[in-house]
Amino acid sequence: MTFEPRIVGFLCNWCSYSGADLAGVSRIPSAPNLRAIRVMCTGRVDPTFVLRAFELGADGVLISGCHPGDCHYAEGNYKAMRRVALLQAVLKGAGVDPARLRIEWVSASEGEKFARVVNEFTARVRALGPLKAAAEPVAAAAD
Amino acid sequence: MSDAKIGVYVCHCGTNIAATVDVAAVARFAATRPRVAVARDYKFMCSQPGQERIQKDIARLGLTRVVVAACSPQMHELTFRTACQEAGLNGYLCQIANIREHCSWIHADREAATAKAKALVAAAASRVAHHVPLEVTYAPLNPATMIVGAGIAGIQAALELAETGRDVYLVERDSTIGGKMAKLDKTFPTLDCSACILTPKMVSVSHRKNVHLLTLAEVERVSGTFGAFTVRVRRRARYVTDACTACGACAKVCPVTVPSPFDELLGERTAIHKAFAQAVPNAYVIEKQERPPCMEACPLHQEAAGYVALIGKRKFKEAARLIRQRNPLASVCGRVCYHPCEDECNRGLVEQPVAIQHLKRFALDWARAHGVTLAPPPVAARREERVAIIGSGPAGLVAANDLALKGYQVTVFEQWAQLGGLLATGIPAFRLPRELLEEEIAWIRALGVRLETGVRFGEQITLETLRRDGFRAVFLATGRRDLVRHDLPGLELAGVISGSEFLRNVNLGTDPHPLGRVVVVGGGTTAVDAARAALRLGSPVTLLYRRTRAEMPAMRGEVDDAVAEGVAVRYLTSPVEVLGAAGRVTGLRCVAMRLAGPDASGRRRPMPVPGSEQTIPCDLVVMAVSQRADVASLVEDGGFARTGWRPVAADPETTQTAQPDVFAGGDVVAGPSTVVAAMGYGRRAAEAMDKYLSGRPLTDFTTHLVRPRNLARENFRPHSYAPRYADTPRAPREPMPRREARERAADFGEVGTGYTEEQAVREAQRCLHCGVCVECRECERVCEPEAVAHAMTDVVEDIPVGQVLLATGYQLFDARRAGQYGYGRLPDVYQGLEFERMISSAGPTAGRVLTRSGRPPRAIAILHCVGSRDENYHRYCSRVCCMYALKFAHLVKDRTDAEVYQFYIDMRAYGKGFEEFYGRVLEEGANVIRGKAAEVVAARGPLAEYGALVVRCEDTLIGAFREVPVDMVVLCAAMEPQADAERLKRIFTISQSPDGFFLERHPKLDPTATFTDGIYIAGCCQGPKDIPDTVAQASGAAARMMGMIARGQVAMDPVRASIVAERCSGCRICNNLCPYAAIAFDEARRVSVVEQALCKGCGTCVAACPAGAIEGAGFTDEQIFAELEGLLAV
Ligand code: FES
Repeated sequence: MTFEPRIVGFLCNWCSYSGADLAGVSRIPSAPNLRAIRVMCTGRVDPTFVLRAFELGADGVLISGCHPGDCHYAEGNYKAMRRVALLQAVLKGAGVDPARLRIEWVSASEGEKFARVVNEFTARVRALGPLKAAAEPVAAAAD
Repeated sequence: MSDAKIGVYVCHCGTNIAATVDVAAVARFAATRPRVAVARDYKFMCSQPGQERIQKDIARLGLTRVVVAACSPQMHELTFRTACQEAGLNGYLCQIANIREHCSWIHADREAATAKAKALVAAAASRVAHHVPLEVTYAPLNPATMIVGAGIAGIQAALELAETGRDVYLVERDSTIGGKMAKLDKTFPTLDCSACILTPKMVSVSHRKNVHLLTLAEVERVSGTFGAFTVRVRRRARYVTDACTACGACAKVCPVTVPSPFDELLGERTAIHKAFAQAVPNAYVIEKQERPPCMEACPLHQEAAGYVALIGKRKFKEAARLIRQRNPLASVCGRVCYHPCEDECNRGLVEQPVAIQHLKRFALDWARAHGVTLAPPPVAARREERVAIIGSGPAGLVAANDLALKGYQVTVFEQWAQLGGLLATGIPAFRLPRELLEEEIAWIRALGVRLETGVRFGEQITLETLRRDGFRAVFLATGRRDLVRHDLPGLELAGVISGSEFLRNVNLGTDPHPLGRVVVVGGGTTAVDAARAALRLGSPVTLLYRRTRAEMPAMRGEVDDAVAEGVAVRYLTSPVEVLGAAGRVTGLRCVAMRLAGPDASGRRRPMPVPGSEQTIPCDLVVMAVSQRADVASLVEDGGFARTGWRPVAADPETTQTAQPDVFAGGDVVAGPSTVVAAMGYGRRAAEAMDKYLSGRPLTDFTTHLVRPRNLARENFRPHSYAPRYADTPRAPREPMPRREARERAADFGEVGTGYTEEQAVREAQRCLHCGVCVECRECERVCEPEAVAHAMTDVVEDIPVGQVLLATGYQLFDARRAGQYGYGRLPDVYQGLEFERMISSAGPTAGRVLTRSGRPPRAIAILHCVGSRDENYHRYCSRVCCMYALKFAHLVKDRTDAEVYQFYIDMRAYGKGFEEFYGRVLEEGANVIRGKAAEVVAARGPLAEYGALVVRCEDTLIGAFREVPVDMVVLCAAMEPQADAERLKRIFTISQSPDGFFLERHPKLDPTATFTDGIYIAGCCQGPKDIPDTVAQASGAAARMMGMIARGQVAMDPVRASIVAERCSGCRICNNLCPYAAIAFDEARRVSVVEQALCKGCGTCVAACPAGAIEGAGFTDEQIFAELEGLLAV
């Protein structure tokens, strides 16, 4: 049986969550591995959310927001982008492949792109394999 | 929390969810989750019985939390929250798990989908346990509304909204409302005339007291929130005030015509214009683009483009008057100006710049020859302050003129017997006839300026004596005098003289004749002038220049003239020693030079060639090299530092020196420069002195200082007609007629004889009118209500409104991109709107269908779907083309004898009366060919007998390739989003669909709202549509807005941040993070505080707070951690 990763998605309310809805309304199939959490803006994604997700056994985390310049709150996505860069360094330090964390821009009208992103990221994480027993070090790195 | 009792409700959504997700299994699973008291599945949770089920459970089981696993929260969150609220449970204690859009609709594998649904439900259940009751608050809604775009959609909405009696701001960037519909001739399928149904609405909207028309206006910024937006609108200057009666007298005298955008550039209009007869507001407008570069380049801001345009219209008198208004030394400039205007002239990009200076001279000469009196501008009220001007050169004279016009009592002191400074002493009469200079100085004297000659500053007068005599301000414009600075042996010999001294002697008539053989050393204007003057006095002249012709600073034409007249020029030659006998010059020993690498000034450095020395026998050596200001007297006077090239230190911006009542300008400050630059300094100084004497700060000058030319060019932006330069037919510059070289070398008469009228008109017509308005001020002159205001500036206004409707319309696909159809290349290929203007009786051809060569076409091809339904451009259908193509066919059939061929892919006649219209046009005999046209080419061979163009296509009905000869092709170009749609999207934080049109909140159920509360859309900015659909959508949007106005308040989402003061460390990281500046620092308590009304709830600060002191209501850390736990429990 192939490994089916569990992926947490943090989707901003205005662009990516709506983009995901549009993918649904348009019946564009995608891998069932992504489970979405709605936040108002990617700027709300606290680094500890990401670390906690890995700690709880997620194999990958996707953060998806509005395109640069299009954030409903002007620049939350830029903040998110910076945090992701830092987080990837932290993950690397903890021995977690930084490719397990990805940030993407999907607008409310990009249902197809949403499905594509989900499929691509799922394939990538599937290739990386399960995130084994990294809970302790990740939590430690967070402190 | 621990005592939370959760009810979970899993919706089947008919089969929408149940077909893919095992809803019963999900419900069974949910029941096993902590704190879940009940879990049920039901066919339609959103139905009345579904909602009642929840309400009953709340009542009977005492549920304290609810989870509904159904469709997206964007769909029914409100429904279920309201249901809970009605049952006495706070709506925010209900959470939605999206198992339809995010699950059943996108997954096929039932097992995987069910597992995912379980995870989503577990997440919601675990999250909702941490929910706390939140209260929606209400804020007042500003009943005023704004509509952006005043096409038919905007007008319709404005009329609807006007009924509320509240303020409606209708913002339009054009000078008139009406949009694209105003350009249409007839409308399909009823064929009623567009103007007849539109213009009454336009007039009506302008009559509503509460509708504020803001034309020439664009939105720049939006702040605030739903109910209380502040929209920043820039209103571009109209240059015509409300006093305009639209009589049209101005347009009759305007010398400038440009292609008319309203007529799709097929017709022309004047610079001052009204877009079309029924334009609203019914007022004229002046189109000004960048200021004409010639005017910008002129230190005096002479309206060069203005008088050139007037000359082009044979209005010579008006041209001369215009020049005179701004320039007291007009004829002088017409002769000796260095004309920086021509360097900047855009015509130079075509072939050669317009001969602006020659035209100026022509206008003034014409006025003089025809006895036209050129009155000075009106003098302002008398001022008692006395002002002294030292020096009567160009800087001093212009300052004197300007100050006298401002009413001051001006005295000019000149050290020589002759007035005019360098103009009189430095420029020979063959370049500037003395009587012209005298005439213009007389103009200045006539303004009441006292001109005193023979008064030397530092001798008869000093600053002290001037102040004692009651002069309140002094302008130092003493110019320069070149000092021979060479350390050449033999300079002390009699017969060595500086260039300017030589010219002064010649000009003042104090030189002994004959001169004998003359050698002039130098390559500047002074050197060339000196050489030519000596020649005219009968001497053989040799001019030595140490570099080559290319580096020579003198003007090229002058050098050519000198050579033609007989001056022998020796390039790459430099003097080494002046030879003499008995104290007199006998010759000049010189050496040949070669050019080495560039020096500090960027020019190539000349190096002597060893062993190349030779001697030129001569009697007079004129050293016309290197000039310096004559500073001796100024330095003695004290108080002025010598700063490098600037012998007098004055602020280059204000011309003020260290002594506040003393100003300085011209060569004495800037070092040797040009006549017109000195005049510019005089003008600037006059403005500065007026400010100083009136006690105003020396800022906000209306005259500008012209920066070096190359810098100015860097900043130069070509105007919007610039692309047309490529099409501009070449027309060389008119040569200045001149006297024969031999004839003119014999006297001091002028070299050039001036343009004839015909030449002047021809030359003037070369002007491209690049600023569009050339500021000739003719309109101002003829406007009886005095409505023309060239000095008008843009106004930026902040307008508070509660809601905004965007109705910004569409633009046409640029058919040039589909090159195979020849648009822009073949003369008789048009796009739809162009043809629309052509068949309009108010259009450029008064409704006649004619080819560019003026003949009625024998056949016309109409090509559908150009840019639409095309993978290369736009995949969507533009929806209106089929019908307007049929309309064109009908109109052509109706008005001409031409055959019509329609090339279509599918005929889309979906609207009311469309199919019937299609039938009717077919009956009228239009030919329809099913097949997308492949290309349009110029006809050749036998086909050329039947048409100038050939349309090639595959007829898919008969399955054959066809070539159809026609004389005219009309392309039904796609409707596409406005070029600046993206900019607006950002300003209003809304979204665009992949095709670029604005995105509606829901494609079916909410076509007028956007994802941003309080911002609505209508018309073609949302997607292509016809007029009836546009009007319906606009009315619909207006109804939405009215509903809110009636309610009077907006619900404020409680999802907002707040700071727990006890936990806040006062680090202030959040203060700068907030995009809405909603977080302030409370200095007294040393903690940050969120201003609730400003917070929009993004949560960025919550995520960033290192102390975890900020709580994001509805999205707390706890809630999201709990959600994660549930999500990953399965
Ligand atoms: S709202 Fe989408 S990223 Fe900020």
